[in-house]
Amino acid sequence: SLSQVEAKPAAATMQSSSRFWGQGDSESEEEEEEVESEQGSDSEDDGGRGGGGRGTQNRYLKTQEDDSDESDSGHRVIRSLRDKRNEEMRSIVDQMRNAMKINDWVSLQESFEKLNKHLEKVVRVNESTEIPKMYIKALVLLEDFLAEALANKEAKKKMSSSNAKALNAMKQKLKKNNKLYEEQIQKCREHPESFEDEAADDKDEDDDDEDEDSEAEIEDPDKIAISESEAEVDEENENDGPWERKQTKKDKLMDKQFLKDPSEITWDIVDKKLKEIVASRGKKGTGRIERVEQLTFLTRVAKTPAQKLEILFHVISAQFDVNPSLLGHMPVNVWKKCVNNMLLVLDILQQYPNIVVETSVEPEEKETQKGADYNGTIHVTGDLVAFLERLDTEFFKTLQCTDPYTKDYVQRLREEPQFLVVAQNVQDYLERVGNLKAAAKVALRRVELVYYKPQEVYDAMRKLAEQPEDSVEEGDAETGEEHQALDDNRGPPPFVVIPEVVPRKPTFPESGRTLMDGLMSLIYKYGDERTKARAMLCDIYHHAISDEFSVARDLLLMSHLQDGVQLMDISSQILFNRVMAQLGLCAFRAGLINEAHGCLTELYSTGRVKELLAQGVQQSRYHEKTPEQERLERRRQMPYHMHINLELLEATHLICAMLIEVPNMAASTYDKRRPMSKTFRRLLEVSERQTFVGPPENVRDHVMAATRALNKGDHQKAFSVISSLEIWKLLRNREHVLEMLKLKVKEEALRTYLFSYSSCYESLSLNQLTTMFDLSEQHAHSIVSKMMMHEELHASWDQPTKCIVFHSVDQTRLQGLLFQMADKLSVLVESNERAYEARTGGTLEGVPPRRRGEGQDSSNMGKWQENFVSSQGRQGGGNRFGGRGGGSGQGGGYQRDYGGRGNQGSRGGYGGGSRFQDGRGRNQSGSSARGGGDGGARMVSLNRAGRV
Amino acid sequence: MAEHDLTARLAPHLDRHLVFPLLEFLQERGLYPEEEILAAKLRLLAGTNMVDYAMAIHRSLHGGADGDGAPDDGMAARRAEVVDRLVRIQQTGPALPLYAFLRDPQLVQLLRPDKQYNLHMLQERFQIGPDQIEALYDDAKFHFECGYYSDAAAYLYQYRVLSTNSDRSVRALWGISASEILNRNWDAAMEELNRLKEIIDSKNFSSPLNQLQNRIWLMHWSLFIFFNHENGRNGIIDLFFQDRYLNAIQTNANHLLRYLAVAVVMNKRRRNMLKELIKVIQQEQHSYKDPITEFLECLYVNYDFDGAQQSLMECEQVILNDPFLGKRIELGNSTTVPLRDEFFENARQFIFETYCRIHRCIDISILAEKLNMRYDEAELWIMNLVKSSKLDAKIDSASGTLIMTVNRVDVHEQIIESLKNLNTRTYMLSQSIVEPAQAAQQAAKGD
Repeated sequence: SLSQVEAKPAAATMQSSSRFWGQGDSESEEEEEEVESEQGSDSEDDGGRGGGGRGTQNRYLKTQEDDSDESDSGHRVIRSLRDKRNEEMRSIVDQMRNAMKINDWVSLQESFEKLNKHLEKVVRVNESTEIPKMYIKALVLLEDFLAEALANKEAKKKMSSSNAKALNAMKQKLKKNNKLYEEQIQKCREHPESFEDEAADDKDEDDDDEDEDSEAEIEDPDKIAISESEAEVDEENENDGPWERKQTKKDKLMDKQFLKDPSEITWDIVDKKLKEIVASRGKKGTGRIERVEQLTFLTRVAKTPAQKLEILFHVISAQFDVNPSLLGHMPVNVWKKCVNNMLLVLDILQQYPNIVVETSVEPEEKETQKGADYNGTIHVTGDLVAFLERLDTEFFKTLQCTDPYTKDYVQRLREEPQFLVVAQNVQDYLERVGNLKAAAKVALRRVELVYYKPQEVYDAMRKLAEQPEDSVEEGDAETGEEHQALDDNRGPPPFVVIPEVVPRKPTFPESGRTLMDGLMSLIYKYGDERTKARAMLCDIYHHAISDEFSVARDLLLMSHLQDGVQLMDISSQILFNRVMAQLGLCAFRAGLINEAHGCLTELYSTGRVKELLAQGVQQSRYHEKTPEQERLERRRQMPYHMHINLELLEATHLICAMLIEVPNMAASTYDKRRPMSKTFRRLLEVSERQTFVGPPENVRDHVMAATRALNKGDHQKAFSVISSLEIWKLLRNREHVLEMLKLKVKEEALRTYLFSYSSCYESLSLNQLTTMFDLSEQHAHSIVSKMMMHEELHASWDQPTKCIVFHSVDQTRLQGLLFQMADKLSVLVESNERAYEARTGGTLEGVPPRRRGEGQDSSNMGKWQENFVSSQGRQGGGNRFGGRGGGSGQGGGYQRDYGGRGNQGSRGGYGGGSRFQDGRGRNQSGSSARGGGDGGARMVSLNRAGRV
Repeated sequence: MAEHDLTARLAPHLDRHLVFPLLEFLQERGLYPEEEILAAKLRLLAGTNMVDYAMAIHRSLHGGADGDGAPDDGMAARRAEVVDRLVRIQQTGPALPLYAFLRDPQLVQLLRPDKQYNLHMLQERFQIGPDQIEALYDDAKFHFECGYYSDAAAYLYQYRVLSTNSDRSVRALWGISASEILNRNWDAAMEELNRLKEIIDSKNFSSPLNQLQNRIWLMHWSLFIFFNHENGRNGIIDLFFQDRYLNAIQTNANHLLRYLAVAVVMNKRRRNMLKELIKVIQQEQHSYKDPITEFLECLYVNYDFDGAQQSLMECEQVILNDPFLGKRIELGNSTTVPLRDEFFENARQFIFETYCRIHRCIDISILAEKLNMRYDEAELWIMNLVKSSKLDAKIDSASGTLIMTVNRVDVHEQIIESLKNLNTRTYMLSQSIVEPAQAAQQAAKGD
């Protein structure tokens, strides 16, 4: 029949190939060389193809490399990679010899290049830096031959032009190349025998190998199986076709291959096939999806659970390979399959506790052959945590890439519980096997999916997860094995049936807090530094959104995260920024205006909030980003559902700034006190410069309008403008917050009024104030008392009449000027002292400048530490607010401090291009924060210097 | 008033034996039902060897001596065991040769400050090895558990002299402190605690957490001393306000703020710490609050005098019910609580001072109300203050008001003040510039 006819050439090719094997070792070199030289010239023609550095000539001998045609049936995997490479190299050398014989410089040059390329591979495979002796020998040979050719002027003249050209090129190249290996060449020339021997030995060994190989080939059960199946299954001959055709439809071939009595499929067959597919990774012409399918098929024919597990690992990594680029994400359906595979893996691991997944131990060759009834431990290479983390990353990426306003996004979000269940199971497994470090990592992943969810969202997720699965998603049920069955339902049922032991639904405790607490305690106990830091940030974030400001604050201060945030990776810094933002919002909701301002001001001082929170790309005026930077930035973006509402954040920041700044401005009409919020001042200046003031449109306009009203003490208008903002509806306890805000506005209006107009009154009754500002008598009394105590208001109470009696402490103009002069003088003295210190610091031998610098530094640190403890900490914390921009800015600040001493004051400020502004802002805050303590320190060091 | 009782929060940081005084006090105050306290005591005793005491309590808890309330066999067995062990220690214990050595004053003279030498000497001449020394520790512990605190302390002192086991000698130090506290040897206890503090602060502890825990223990234990020792009032402020200790309080023991607050209020010379205290109280207000801290908060944060007064009233009960603060002293036939009186005197002055600072004219009757005094009492009090020139004010008797003299700093003075500073600084600067230059000149001349 036709099939038999067609089968024959296939057999013939195989035969011939094994004949070639035989030739390779038994025949004299000469014959082989002839063949090779022919093919060598072939390769010249289709040079591009050989670019991989592999000889195309010995096609039959080295089919391992060729995935395009025949015999993917097994013998390509038989030899170890190392032998293979050496063998290839040898063949190239042989080819060169041939070329020398016919004086073909063109092909010689070609081979030489090939050889060099190949050298890298060989060295890599041999895992040593040593250059193979074969290569050196070839170089010597070439050198000699070259010298000979050059000497023979006659012959040179006779050469064809291309040949001569090649000769010259060769001369140059060889000279350059040989310089690298001068020593070895020298050695080789001195002791040619040793090199010779070595090479011969190599050859012998290889021959042995080859012998074995060819034997193995004969016995290759796979092939036998195939030929058997071909012989037996007559009906399907149409499809069977020649090898070439099967090649193009690999999966079909696989079907055929395994479409027979299960008992005939052995572990070896499957293993061989697996290795083959795995080896094809990254090769040209292998479809990524096809690989996945092939491997998936293999999982069903796996003979032992361990093997199944091994193959599953390969499937999973192949699935991750489906999308090669860093920017894109894994297709959603592949992701889902991957999730199911992970669950399957966990099923196996649960079912067979004797199977151990490790990366450290190199499993034995036949490790997975041990069956289900094997009692000892079976090692399988794999890394569950890495898989899980990758799965998470891919999930994150899809969300990053999907348009948040589409249904896809929502759909994708609904799949989060699927990941959570895998994570939960992996964590359980790891805890069970006692790998708590890894479990902590997994726990962190879970935390990072939960931390930003307020209780309401968390509840929604819990409900979603508890719903029966098919209602969650229709396509979901057909995943896993069933799904595969749909793909190729002609296939046999899986040999190793694993029941679903691992739960397929996540379990969530009632409140998000409980879940977080559970995970946290695991992480704190076993996590590494980064895991702990991130978990801590997530924890703080979660506390902040649950309106537990004090807990969140204490956690932040105690953890000292602010100290090291600049040293963390960027994504952690972003997380930190998010935490600070959320902490600010939380403080605001709790009515802690100063704290809120402290948290947020740093975020807004740079004007790059979006970038700092990774919630969108912001254009910078000062400096264009390179595409590379932009890509990086895009990769860091938070998915939409994790965003912190920027309008709310801005409103919060500006309102806090307003409440602090307006009384401050009113108080400091005479003495120019430093503004508390520079950003706010700047905005205010801009808005005051406007000729016409329209009705407020955006958040900023609203706050500015409110500021104008508050400035006049008109608390009603200020509040009504603010409360007209749309964003308040985003708040959970809106009424409560607005009530708080109203009170704060009234308070600050009262303060502002007193600051501004106290000079106009001789006395003012408390009654009048309470009616003016709609405050309770007690409250107003308390505020005014506080102002008196802090000497903000020069007045005192007249208790019987309940009046404020103002003391006239007005300064005359002269006095005011005098005060200013005193201030300026003190600045002058200070800079003198600094200059002195800088000078002597460099010249005095008694006090080496280095030492002093450190002293300063440590005293600084001490102070900051203290900040933590005594917690103006929060303010301090705010100041030290990290972020990328912030971080570099701070660096600038430091530099400036030292630089100032070194008379290079301007240097620090220019720290980094666009960072100029924050750098500047920071310098000022930095130096002022050091304030008094610094002065003291300086005095001390001055004394010391004086004595010396 | 049991809501402000801190015993439950204090107890975990104290030694079992140190809790007894607290329970005794509670029993005396009658804040809790008698049975509960007795039951608590019994549970406490279960871990000790004070079996007789436990039996007595058991009897009183379960209905006197009439048969059915008799302690069960377990207790009796335990008693026999304890007595047996005690006898063994005295007769056949491994540390007997050591006791013999220590009892002989002449032999004790042989000991030198050098521990290695001592060990060597004991081993060589008396065959007393490390085992015996460790047995000494165990015996001490046993005595302590039996309630023989002075014996325990004595043993532990000896042990510390001889021991080279640093971990155990720290524990011995804790044991000595506990024993001395329970023996009311405040001076000795103070000394031991200071020693402990040095160790805690200096030694590189295994973990910061451990160190924190030790600090908290130390602070709790020290409460016994500070409220009994004559110099304790300063001691508590010194100790608790150290950064590391303040930190520990904020981290894990914020109820200690009560004692710190009381100490600061009562200590006139440490007024400057008040600001810092207020700051801490404010930070911790979400996690710890009692009338005493509220009082300070009202007065110094909100300037809410009514609120302050309200809290002050509540303070009385808090102080009376606090085992450390409410200590009674019997004078003749009247009992007084000296700490309460002192606290109130000072608190009143705080209110008054603050009140006067922001007022120009005060109605004395209202003032009296705020100070929790009668009118004439208040007037007398104010008069005394004015007379002793602590208060710059005059009483307007006709209208019943107090008129404050407002004294504010003259502008000129202010300017002069701010420039004075510049003067000295400039002087320093020039001095330090000129001096080296002169030195250099002289050096040049000398050459």
